[in-house]
Amino acid sequence: MNKRITTVFLSLVIAIAAVGYFVGIGDGVPVPDGFHDSPLADRELNQTGGDAKLIEAVSYAEIAGTQMGPTQSWQMVPKTLPTRSYDLFAEIKPSEEEKLASSQTRSSRRAYNGAPPVIPHAIENTTDAACYACHSNGMKMGNLKASVMSHQFLANCTQCHAPMAPAPFRDVDASVNTTFVGLPAPKAGKRAYPGAPPTIPHSQWMRENCLACHGGGNGWAGMESTHPWRTNCTQCHAPSASLDQAVASDTIPMLPPLEVVGE
Amino acid sequence: MDAKRRSFLKSTAMAAACSMVTSEAGFSLPVLSADDGLPDGDGLTWNKAPCRFCGTGCHVQVGVEDGRVVAIAGDKAADVNKGLLCVKGYHVGGILYGKDRLTKPLLRKDGKLTEIEWDDAIDIVAKRIMDAPDKFAFYGSGQWTIPEGFAAQKFMKGGLGNNHIDPNARLCMASAVTGFLATYGVDEPAGCYADLDECDVLITWGNNPAEMHPVLFSRVTDRRSRGETVRIIDIGTRRTRTTDAANDYLEMQPHGDVAISLGIMHLLIQNENYDKSFVENFCNFRGAEADTPTLQGEAISEEDFRKRIAKYTPEHVEELSGVPADKIRMLAELFANREIRITSLWCMGMNQHTMGTAINSLVHGVHLLSGHFGRPGDAPTSLTGQPSACGTVREVGTLAHALPGGRVVAKPEHRAQCEEMWNVREGSINPEPGYHTVKMFEQFTKPTSEGGDINTLFVQVTNPGQTLPNLNALFNSKDGLEDKFLIVSEVYPTATTRLADLILPAALWVEKNGMFGNSERRTQQWFKMVDPPGEARDDCWMTIAIAHRLFELGHEGMKNKDGEFIFAVKDENGKEIPVWEFEHYYDTNVDKHLFEEYRAFTTMKHKNLAPYDEYVAARGLRWPVVEQSDGSWRETKFRFAAFDDPFVAEGQEFEFYHSSSNDGRAQIWFHEYAPPPEMPDDEYPFWLCTGRVLEHWHTGTMTRRVSQLSRAMPTSYVEMHAEDAQAANIRQGETVVIESRRGVCELPVWIDGRGRPPRGTIFVPFFDETKLINNCTLEAHDPFSKQPDYKKCAVRVVKKSTAKANATEMVHS
Repeated sequence: MNKRITTVFLSLVIAIAAVGYFVGIGDGVPVPDGFHDSPLADRELNQTGGDAKLIEAVSYAEIAGTQMGPTQSWQMVPKTLPTRSYDLFAEIKPSEEEKLASSQTRSSRRAYNGAPPVIPHAIENTTDAACYACHSNGMKMGNLKASVMSHQFLANCTQCHAPMAPAPFRDVDASVNTTFVGLPAPKAGKRAYPGAPPTIPHSQWMRENCLACHGGGNGWAGMESTHPWRTNCTQCHAPSASLDQAVASDTIPMLPPLEVVGE
Repeated sequence: MDAKRRSFLKSTAMAAACSMVTSEAGFSLPVLSADDGLPDGDGLTWNKAPCRFCGTGCHVQVGVEDGRVVAIAGDKAADVNKGLLCVKGYHVGGILYGKDRLTKPLLRKDGKLTEIEWDDAIDIVAKRIMDAPDKFAFYGSGQWTIPEGFAAQKFMKGGLGNNHIDPNARLCMASAVTGFLATYGVDEPAGCYADLDECDVLITWGNNPAEMHPVLFSRVTDRRSRGETVRIIDIGTRRTRTTDAANDYLEMQPHGDVAISLGIMHLLIQNENYDKSFVENFCNFRGAEADTPTLQGEAISEEDFRKRIAKYTPEHVEELSGVPADKIRMLAELFANREIRITSLWCMGMNQHTMGTAINSLVHGVHLLSGHFGRPGDAPTSLTGQPSACGTVREVGTLAHALPGGRVVAKPEHRAQCEEMWNVREGSINPEPGYHTVKMFEQFTKPTSEGGDINTLFVQVTNPGQTLPNLNALFNSKDGLEDKFLIVSEVYPTATTRLADLILPAALWVEKNGMFGNSERRTQQWFKMVDPPGEARDDCWMTIAIAHRLFELGHEGMKNKDGEFIFAVKDENGKEIPVWEFEHYYDTNVDKHLFEEYRAFTTMKHKNLAPYDEYVAARGLRWPVVEQSDGSWRETKFRFAAFDDPFVAEGQEFEFYHSSSNDGRAQIWFHEYAPPPEMPDDEYPFWLCTGRVLEHWHTGTMTRRVSQLSRAMPTSYVEMHAEDAQAANIRQGETVVIESRRGVCELPVWIDGRGRPPRGTIFVPFFDETKLINNCTLEAHDPFSKQPDYKKCAVRVVKKSTAKANATEMVHS
């Protein structure tokens, strides 16, 4: 008897669960009626003139050529991505340890000082817009940090920045036997006297945006400017004409010294 | 501590420290502390050089400290690249420092390589040549510097009277040359890179400049970032990164380009909206002779041209090319619009083509017929893949049939002029063209008993063991060829040195003086900045040293008319400098001597060059470079157009002053479409296309020794359509066997990879020396240019397990 009650009870539970499951997955969203059927989003897009809850999934290869973006129903609701608050006037005390750590990370991604950094993550074959999404202003998410572009927008990121190996070949041994040693990054600019503003120890070419590394919310720890509110860096920090390939001559052209006739 | 000692200590410390660095990380990292003798920026000097890699011809600034290259920067003063480079260019310094640099001459004795002295090496080469001068062949490339190529050319044609000298550029841009000759009567583009800044429409014909010429391509796409509108139309056989930036992608069948260009011309004619005044004033029509077609062809009337082209209706072109008829109409409408400027770009897609000469001529024809020619932004522009394919191969003429400055061995007056300028005896130059590349290797790999009449082959600055088509036939084995002798001058062990009997260690890039000529007629110069490692030496020196040994052995050809050595260089007092001894090679600037001698050859075809010192000061100059009344030298951006070209006759708007019809006109060609020589069938159902990737250059011998580049693209692969892979039960990353009628190659599969071929097509880059796709390719070549077609042949893709089973079966049966 007991057994029978248990069976009935469990059947009931299963039945309710099954009904609940189907009601749950129904949820007003049309269900595809077969394996080869057109995906739901496709049909819905056609029916409702683009105002769909879902957009069609495409393969990575197709992303570049596909119109994507927020659906209309999503756009109806005003939303903003959470941004970190950044206090321009907060006191900044760069530490030597942080600077060393940052320098080491930076140099691990470059063949020499001034080389375009390699891309430290694998990339899908997406467009430059994908790079720009994170690297235009930089971002932090968890422990990950996307560096800020230090130069103006250029339309072919991988022209200069070498990515990691494509996913299918990630395990291929890519080690290279070389004796090349690149120029290291300068430790600090030179100061004329203690307290003087340091000169810029590197070329400014492709590093027009000083705050990419030296400030903002997404610069490099230990390299930040202590005074990010000042907006004209070269007002105080002298660049190097020779590093900037700005002059052709090695010596500074001057008028000849005065000829003073001795006694 | 004096500077020298400090410098020595630093370089030893650098060498020691870097071995530590590489073993740990795989990247050669700059180390931060300045106290360990590593470069610190003190005493860093910068100097200009053109990049070592492709034909774009970017200038880099090379940072040298303590005798080693430690940094690279884009040269802001360079007009080509305006301070920007590509990922290869930024890492070009690393190519000098692979640990396996060849540093000692190596001779194969009883199958084993043994170190020998340079003196003995030069002796061995000279004696082999002395024994059989007419059985010697010299194989070089578009990576020869201009002086290296000129020395090789003079040595062979002027000295030995032997025309068996050919470059790997035969495999790379020979069809571009024949296309220019057939159309304009003279080689090389009329326009320049400034066209890219002006064009409204850019058409890439079977071309992927986003990866192959990225600096030029971003010059166009960056215009869009600045708010300009440029329409990019990509005509290709697979989707590439160029397609990603294109407004239109027209996917064609292999050889579809021929049909498309005919289709455009047909519509322009039919709709009567071609540029009638341009055609009337500056063009003729040309067709191939019925019996024996030549590069000159025969004159045909406009009426005849109309008749012949009438059948290439958009619908017929759609059938032949796979590109929808509407799109052919769209292209024709664009060309019919004189308000816009159209630039066409092409490289290997149109050159490595069994109809290479035809398709090159046809695309020039489309531009001429529509009048999209000669205004900035209106240009048919052929790009080159090697840094000096133009400068050395095409201008110096290191081809089996050519002489310097656009001359050919077949013409008595050209031979006489060269003999005169070289001051060699009359009749020194052989009137018979030598063996072109494919023929040269056929004759070398054919046993002597069967008529293989090349027995000593000297290879400089290239890697035929990887780049020749159908390697199994043309290179892979030396069995049965024990009497033959392969000499290879190289910087690293390669697919070619595998079979070498003598390996000569060469200096590379800024380890020597040099000059290159890029795709836009720009001649560039650089100075030696660092010493080559060990006993590596300049290629140019090798040629001169061998020549001098032959001179000592009494070879008459190595003496000029006055009995002096043909490469004699004298100081201000008229005393000969022994440049054949390497310790004296840099007592003078041999490059400058050779270049000044070469300059005299260049005026005949109006490719005038300036004196050497002008190039020292400039970031390259585009020829013709003409001296002005104030003594300055002016370069020419746009040839044949009166507004810029000083050689156009007074009162003319355009003048093709080397016209093959001798009337100042260019030729608009008609060529009949022909199908490719090998097409997919039941047995071999796939098209195979080969090519390059952004990170690696040519056979990868340099770029694969740079960790950043190797990391980004560690292996070659086969691109395959997802559905083809699914149908054959092949997974992402799985190693498969590519089989053609000629050979096999194992490669991992990349589905939805960087390029995306359509169903029925696969693509394989050729940079990987461990995966020789040229075992599979076809040696069928263009009838005029002799350039093979690497872009299309029939293959099958076999799962490795099946391939093994097949192989076992074959063994058993």
